[in-house]
Amino acid sequence: MLKTRDLLRISVRQVVRQGKRTLGVALAIALGTAGLIAVATMGDEVKNNLNRDLDLLGGATVIRLGFEEEVHPGSRPQWFRSETVEAVRDLDGVDTASLATGDIDWLPVLWEDRFYAIPIQGVDEYYWHTMGLSALEGRLLDQQDLAARSRVCVMGLELAGNLFGDGAAVGRLFSIRRDLYEVVGVVGGLQIRDRARFAFLPLGTLLDRGEGCPLPDRLYVRCRTWDDVEPVAAAIPGLVAANQPDEYLRMDVAWGPLERIKTVVWWVELFIYLSIAATLVLGGFGIWSGMMTSVAARTREIGLKKAMGAEDMDIMKQFLAESLALGLGSAALGVGLARLVVAGLGSYLGSAPPWPVFNSYAGHCLWFSALLALAAGFYPALRASRMDVVTAIRYE
Amino acid sequence: MSNDGNKGRGPIIRIRGLNKAYRSGPETVRVLRDVDLDVYSGDMIAVMGPSGTGKSTLLFILGLLLRPGSGSYSILGRDAFGLGRSGQAAFRRKCIGFVFQSCNLFERTTVYENLEFPLIYSGVKPRLRRGLIREALDRVGLSHRLRHPANQLSGGEQQRVAIARALVNRPSIILADEPTGQLDRANGQQVMEHFAGIVSSNKTAMIVVTHDPSVAAVCNRVYALENGRLTPEVDKGVPA
Ligand SMILES: Nc1ncnc2c1ncn2[C@@H]1O[C@H](COP(=O)(O)OP(=O)(O)OP(=O)(O)O)[C@@H](O)[C@H]1O
Ligand SMILES: [Mg+2]
Repeated sequence: MLKTRDLLRISVRQVVRQGKRTLGVALAIALGTAGLIAVATMGDEVKNNLNRDLDLLGGATVIRLGFEEEVHPGSRPQWFRSETVEAVRDLDGVDTASLATGDIDWLPVLWEDRFYAIPIQGVDEYYWHTMGLSALEGRLLDQQDLAARSRVCVMGLELAGNLFGDGAAVGRLFSIRRDLYEVVGVVGGLQIRDRARFAFLPLGTLLDRGEGCPLPDRLYVRCRTWDDVEPVAAAIPGLVAANQPDEYLRMDVAWGPLERIKTVVWWVELFIYLSIAATLVLGGFGIWSGMMTSVAARTREIGLKKAMGAEDMDIMKQFLAESLALGLGSAALGVGLARLVVAGLGSYLGSAPPWPVFNSYAGHCLWFSALLALAAGFYPALRASRMDVVTAIRYE
Repeated sequence: MSNDGNKGRGPIIRIRGLNKAYRSGPETVRVLRDVDLDVYSGDMIAVMGPSGTGKSTLLFILGLLLRPGSGSYSILGRDAFGLGRSGQAAFRRKCIGFVFQSCNLFERTTVYENLEFPLIYSGVKPRLRRGLIREALDRVGLSHRLRHPANQLSGGEQQRVAIARALVNRPSIILADEPTGQLDRANGQQVMEHFAGIVSSNKTAMIVVTHDPSVAAVCNRVYALENGRLTPEVDKGVPA
C-alpha cells in the first residue's frame, strides 16, 4: 500500500516536472479563483460604497412619505407621530429616517432692511444624512439645536449666495417676523437640487411658532441598499396604520431609477459570475483533459508500476493526487493573487478590505478547487487504474 | 551448476498443462500448448525460440500479469490463479522482479527514483531505501549514477538500471525478457554473471528469455519454445 507521504511527494514532483503542459490549466484556475474571491470579498464593500457615496444614484434608495389631505378639502390635516417614526427607524433595511415639515412657502425674511420671500423647511438632525446633503460651510443642524429649539438656520447654497455673497453666510443674523436667527452653515451636495434655495430651521423651533400651521407631515426614509427598498416600501403602510391614522398616506418611491440601477448591477454581476464560472469550468475541463492525455502518455509507466506490484488503488490514488496537487496548487496561487487584488481595490476604494470575509471565501475556494480537481481527475484516474498491464507494457 | 540437491524441496514454480490462445479478429492464435515447467530455487532457466512464439507471453503468465486459457500454476506453494487481483499484486511486490524487453524506465525521473518505486510499493521505510538502492546499483556498476536523469543514460545503462530495479526488492523469482538485448557482448556477459551470482547466493530462481546462446550458456537449464510447446534442449547450444 502506498503511504500518504510518498504519494504526495511523487504527485507533486510529477506535476512540477510536467511543466509547460500544466501551466495553462494552472493559470486558468488561478485566475478564476482570484476573480471569484476578489469579487465575492469586495462585492459587498463596493455595493456599500455605491449606496453610501454615490449620490448619482438619484436618491433611489430614499422613500418619501407624506399626506394628501389637501386634495380632500374638509378632512383633518395629518402628521407623523413619533411612535410611527421610531417604528420605521427600527425596520430592517432602514438606514435612517428623517421627520420634516412640508415646505413653507415664501416666509418673509428681513435682511439689511429689505424683505425677501424665502421657502423654508423644518427638519430634524437626520435630514442631512437621509437626503445625502453635506455642509459646505459651517455646520449642519444637530441634536442640540433640535432639543434646545435654537434660533439657528442652515441655508442652501444658492440662497446663501444670493443673500450674502459667496462664502460669507456663516455667522450672519437675519430676522423672520421679528425673531433673530443665526446662519450656522451652508448646505450642498449632488442631491440638493431645488433645496439649494431653501432655508432649514430646526423642526421644533418652527413648530413652536404655530403660525402657518407647519406640521411634521413628511417622512424621508433612507434604505441601506437598493435591495432593501422594496421590502421596506411594502412594510411601511402597515406600520403607519398600526401607529396612527393613515388616511391619505402617500408614498413616493423612485421605482424607475431603482430598476435601472438594479438592472445594471444585475448584468454586471451576471457577467462577472459567468466569466468566473466559465474559468472554473474550463479549469475543470483542463484538468480532465490534461489528466486524460497524461494517462495515455504514461501508459507504459502505469504498466511498469503494476508489474512491480502497485495495486489498482495505488494507481488511482496517484492520479487523483496529481489532479489534486494541480487543482489545489493553482487555487493557492489564485488566493495569493486575490489577496493582491483585494488589497489594491481596498486602497482604491479607500476602505479596509474585510479580511475575515476574504479568508472565508479563500477557504471555500480551496475546498471547491479540491472537489473540482477530484471530480475532474476521477475518470482519468479510474481509466489508469483499470488499465490492462500486459497491453500497457507492450505499448510503445 | 547442478540443482539436483534442490529437487527434494519441491519447486517454487510448478506449471501443468498451460494453454494460452489470443483471439485477433476471426482468427485464434494458439501461443502456448500444454506447457509443463518446474522451477526450483537456484535454477537459472533460459527460454529460447523464434520471434513470436510466445516467450514474452509465458513470462507474463509466470509473472501473474496474464491469465492463461487453462492449466494450473502454483507459486511458492500457492495456487497463483486463486489469489485474486490484489493478492497477485502483493505477490509481484514481494516475490517477483521483472526486466522487460525494452523501455523499462520511468520518464522524467532519476535513477534513484526508478529504484525507489518498488520499495515504496512494498512499504519499505524511507531510511532503509537508500542502502538497498545503492546495493542494487553496485551490482550493475552504476552506483555513481544515483541522481542521473534516467533518460540521459545510454541504452545499455538503462537496461542495467532496470536489472538493478528488478533486484532491489530481493525477489525470489526474477523474470527477464531479453535483458541483454541492448548490451554489447562484454557487458551482457558481465550482467549475466551478476545474475548468476545473485541466483546462487540468494535462493532465487531466474527465468530469462533470450536469443543469445552465450546467455543461455550461463544457465543451468535451457528450454526451446516452438509451436507453442516448451521442450528441454538436450544440447545446450554452445557459442561458436
Ligand atoms: N493481445 C494480443 N492479441 C493477439 N495476438 C497477440 C497478443 N499479444 C501477443 N500476440 C501474438 O502472440 C504471439 C506471441 O507473442 P509474444 O510477444 O509472446 O512473442 P515472443 O516470443 O515474445 O516474440 P519476440 O521474440 O519477438 O519478443 C505473437 O504472434 C503475437 O502476435
Ligand atoms: Mg517477446
